[in-house]
Amino acid sequence: MTTRDVLQVSGLSIRNANLPKAAPVLQDVSFSAAPKSVVGIIGESGAGKTVLAKALVNWVASPLEISSGQLFFEGVDLLKQPAERFNAMRGREISYIGADPTSALDPTVPVGSQIVKKLVTVKPTLSKREAKEFVIETFQAVRIPSASKRFNDYPFQFSGGMMQRALIVDALVTNPKLLIADNITQPLDVTVAAQILRLLRQLQQDFETAIVFVTASLGTAVDIADKVLVMKEGRVVESGGTSGLLANPQDDYTKQLIHQVPDIWGAEPFHSEQIDEHPILSIRDVSKTYQLADPDVVFGKQAVQAVRGVSFDVRRGENFGVIGESGCGKSTLSRLLSALESPDTGEVLFNGTSLSSMSSKQLLNWRQKMQLILQDPYNSIPSYMTIGDIIAEPLRIHNLEKGNALWTRVKAVMTEVGLNLDLIHDLPAGLSAGQRQRVSIARALVLEPEVLILDETLSALDQVEQSKLLALFADINRRRSITCIYISHDLAMVRRICDRIGVMYLGKVVELADNESLFSKAGHPYTRALLSAVPVLEEKPFEESVYLLDGEPPDPINIPAGCSFRTRCPFAIDQCAQEEPNLEVYEEKGSAAACYVGYAKLP
Amino acid sequence: MRSGAPQGASEHLLLGPFYRLIGMAFAIEFFVRRILQGAVIVFLVSFVIFALLRVVSGDPVRIILGPMASSAAIEETAEQLGLRDPIPIQYGRFVAGVVQGDFGHSFIRGVQGGSTGGSQDSEGLDTDNRAPVFDLIMTALPYTAILAGGGVFLALLIALPIGIFAGRNSGRWPDRFALYVSSLFISLPNIWIGVVLIFLFSTKAGWLPAIGYEGLAYAILPAIVIAIEISPVLIRAISVSVSDNLRAPYFALGLVRGLSSNYMFRAHVLRNSAVPLMNLFGAQVIGMLLGGLFVVEYIFSYPGIGLLTINAIFQRDFPIVQAISILAAVALVLINMFVDFFSSLIDRRLKF
Amino acid sequence: MTDTVSNATTGMRTSQRMLAHAWAFKEMKFALGVFLFLIVLAAVGPVIIPASAIDMNVGLRFLPPIFFEGGQWPHIFGTDQLGRDLFLRSLIGLRNALMLSVVAVICMFVLGCGLGIYAGYKGGWIDTVIMRITDVQMSIPVIILAITVLGMSRPTPFSIIMVLVIASWPVYARVARSVALAEKEKEHIRAARIIGAGDLRIMLRHMAPQILPPIAFVAVLDIARMMIFEAIFGFIGIGIQPPTPTFGTIISSGTQYLLNSWWITVAPGVLLAVTLTSLNLVGGVLERSRNHVLQGGR
Repeated sequence: MTTRDVLQVSGLSIRNANLPKAAPVLQDVSFSAAPKSVVGIIGESGAGKTVLAKALVNWVASPLEISSGQLFFEGVDLLKQPAERFNAMRGREISYIGADPTSALDPTVPVGSQIVKKLVTVKPTLSKREAKEFVIETFQAVRIPSASKRFNDYPFQFSGGMMQRALIVDALVTNPKLLIADNITQPLDVTVAAQILRLLRQLQQDFETAIVFVTASLGTAVDIADKVLVMKEGRVVESGGTSGLLANPQDDYTKQLIHQVPDIWGAEPFHSEQIDEHPILSIRDVSKTYQLADPDVVFGKQAVQAVRGVSFDVRRGENFGVIGESGCGKSTLSRLLSALESPDTGEVLFNGTSLSSMSSKQLLNWRQKMQLILQDPYNSIPSYMTIGDIIAEPLRIHNLEKGNALWTRVKAVMTEVGLNLDLIHDLPAGLSAGQRQRVSIARALVLEPEVLILDETLSALDQVEQSKLLALFADINRRRSITCIYISHDLAMVRRICDRIGVMYLGKVVELADNESLFSKAGHPYTRALLSAVPVLEEKPFEESVYLLDGEPPDPINIPAGCSFRTRCPFAIDQCAQEEPNLEVYEEKGSAAACYVGYAKLP
Repeated sequence: MRSGAPQGASEHLLLGPFYRLIGMAFAIEFFVRRILQGAVIVFLVSFVIFALLRVVSGDPVRIILGPMASSAAIEETAEQLGLRDPIPIQYGRFVAGVVQGDFGHSFIRGVQGGSTGGSQDSEGLDTDNRAPVFDLIMTALPYTAILAGGGVFLALLIALPIGIFAGRNSGRWPDRFALYVSSLFISLPNIWIGVVLIFLFSTKAGWLPAIGYEGLAYAILPAIVIAIEISPVLIRAISVSVSDNLRAPYFALGLVRGLSSNYMFRAHVLRNSAVPLMNLFGAQVIGMLLGGLFVVEYIFSYPGIGLLTINAIFQRDFPIVQAISILAAVALVLINMFVDFFSSLIDRRLKF
Repeated sequence: MTDTVSNATTGMRTSQRMLAHAWAFKEMKFALGVFLFLIVLAAVGPVIIPASAIDMNVGLRFLPPIFFEGGQWPHIFGTDQLGRDLFLRSLIGLRNALMLSVVAVICMFVLGCGLGIYAGYKGGWIDTVIMRITDVQMSIPVIILAITVLGMSRPTPFSIIMVLVIASWPVYARVARSVALAEKEKEHIRAARIIGAGDLRIMLRHMAPQILPPIAFVAVLDIARMMIFEAIFGFIGIGIQPPTPTFGTIISSGTQYLLNSWWITVAPGVLLAVTLTSLNLVGGVLERSRNHVLQGGR
């Protein structure tokens, strides 16, 4: 302990007053934060990180209560002070930013005026006009585009990333000595999260703030923190300087966490064994536009171009990945592929037959051959049907089996996906997320489909469960020679399981490459930006400082003319503004990228 | 950029949001669409009532002329009133009149007021003698307006403090108190509590007048009955939305951001709670109020629209019932339109 | 956050969680007890109480309730202007009102929710047509509809139920539709379409079980509302006709004797109000529990 520390926590324990016999939520947590330093707190969900973070701003809500410990802020134990004294620090000396930017402010009041209100409350000497000017200036400083217009916008008009920037402004306008950043990058896309981290690093130098940075991602913590605390089940299992801890972890749990961070470039690229060159699924120039009411024109409509001329083939037996960030059109594409919606132009061919030419009876038969597994383990299976009935339902709909034969088939598929047969008469209520996804998988597999689309199927699962299911899919793929299409935002996952990958940006496929080429060469600057932003522990071939983007994708209502990426591309040339580039093959294996700059000219 | 708002107008404390919205195509589009929709609704309501009266009810001529009238006289009067024409033709005639502002004349009521049913022979029935429906409604409307306004005012007077207090103390005794009060009030049938109040405060104690209308004091007891009827719904809605907003993430975070609990409550919780309350008004309270007015005016012989209507239906006085149905539908459509408009002023996420 | 509050309830379905939450209220147990007691009383009272609800008895006219001077056993609520036992008349009125209201609520629930789910799921012109019908229906005051339809011929329980259902189904349709609109975007409905389930199957097997229980909870409150309507109809003279006793007709006939025999109006109303309060308490607690669970509480 040094008296210079801004924050010093010692022996902090928090328990649940309703469960006096249960283990405390936080147990004997001690650490300190020096001025201008960043302390990373890392752990899985349920480790007590968020409870700790909130305790630092006196936000311990019933039934939780602090049972013992001290919390020194600049040498004063705030827990011994009256609550008003502690609360008076909040928003002034100690600031807090949470994980959910979109619900952090009143949805009915413009963002700017809420921040101004806070500013004039904590600094009563400031006039409203001065405060407003100051906030707009700071908006510009954190690179919120057209700051004075955004000042009057409402929270729902901000994207998650922009809102998080605004909240960083809100937290730092008072120049606090300590900032608690509680999972602030968790809901954001990788490139946006990387931008926020970069911003936070810059601001920290200007503002001389100490930061307590809570995150579930070790890669992120390593990126920003000087010192790391590893938490498990409410206790600190290990702490120390970031590089030392990484190089020489002492505790088994730390080692396990480090081990769980997926390797991207260190891993072997995936290859399916039997790939038939004949495409089972062909997507031909598919587009989908949605009409929205235009708020600025009487009875006007706006066209949201969700998917714009996407073409690719998926070969029988291969694992194909579609990757992209929020709003890139991958969910619309998944709806088009599963014939839940039909494309405005272009067609989806299954074994050479266009889905749009099928009668409803043919379409029903086709559903047996093509199945889709969704993301949310809690919402994608009905809660009031038994697991057996859920898995049997497709067989009943398609009239495939009856009586004993039906149950034999249900049991066989349950065994295949690793579900205990005792669960057959249970409701899904008691199942874990992983088990629920297995039910979804079983329900799809029971029809013995030829193509399986996995729409973010594994995104909601933790690393361990994800690895198990990936192994299961590799196994199914081998045994059934099924064709899988993975739609995901997770680069590490497609690296592990896909043969070929399409990268989507603003409704278009901007790069289509095989696994090896995509990760090592990457012909499109957007792909490189994505790769530069992944939080990993290994060396990346693409430097963040060279490739990381500014800002966020343009609105799909106003897509820039020419190359849609040019407005954010650090390497754009004149040609990019004139015409939209097509996919051009850039290397011998047939990988293609839609970029005028060209593979050879990218740095 | 949004056009149309004067420079700096959007910062105006009260009118700010209004300016920001009024410049928008949204507002124009909203009103055009809702007025057209409303016109269709009013048209359909009037037709349904018009047809229902003629198909389901008995023959009004029998009541107009009394039980002794000969069937020839009845036929003649019916012809004269156009009641023997096919319904679409009758309806066309009615709509043509309404468009010109003519809602027709009462079958029963004379110009001098009072019913003439059964007392006139067929020769005595002439249009000039019967009261224009429009005049009858205009005479009754102010009374009903007083009663409705008083009832809603009293209801808010009861519901706002109880509801807000309950919402701020969710799960504790004020919350339970609100549950008890609202469960009790909603369980007191207006016909019964009306009679009981008359008995207690008028017949027994003699504190308040009850029957008819000769001054503002006559509106007090009926307004209390109305307030008892609609306040439970308001209490529940207020307590639920206040406690929801207190639990919303923005509230706790506001405190952590350094704002006071009082400020957060005044500036944000009350503001957000107003939206569901306004929607409730449009969706439920206005309907309840309308139903309540009919019954309460009947119990208290209060000379408003409700009493006029109930008597008119029993007397098969079609023109009055038709006109009042249109009036009620127009009122509902307009109130719902403004409720939705002001809700979307407060919460810009709402799109109607 | 960790699920530390109660792990015992995590394994339950939504509707079970709502019931469990509601049962934890002591008001729930109390109100349900009172309500069940009144139902039993309404069922067996007319059999065991040695008096008559229908037969006139001039000698027993205007007897006050037994708690007052001059009251006589077994006339708990006293007697009316024709010497009939008010307590028995009230119990019979209660029984009829309750049966009528329950049937009406079931009908409006089925009709309204059915059309609402259909409109919400199908969307397009079907949705528009059904919703415009509800708009029109909700713009017609119940009383106008009721007197027009019931005032002209002798009202029967069937016609009264019909009026109540026609007047109230749009509320259910609107609620069911708005929930169906949200529900159809959920992944389990998408999943059902992907395995090939048809519209009917999706609406009945996948949407209805999610949508209906929460609405049914609130429908309890509507039983009480319908009983009040039944009383109002009786009061205006368009309810079930004499000699069958109804709350409305008893209260209405008592208004003539208010000054000297106030109990003819007051006593039956007290029984009705107690019944309704117990029912509304049950409904109110259920409504709270529904909100609590739907907002993610346990």
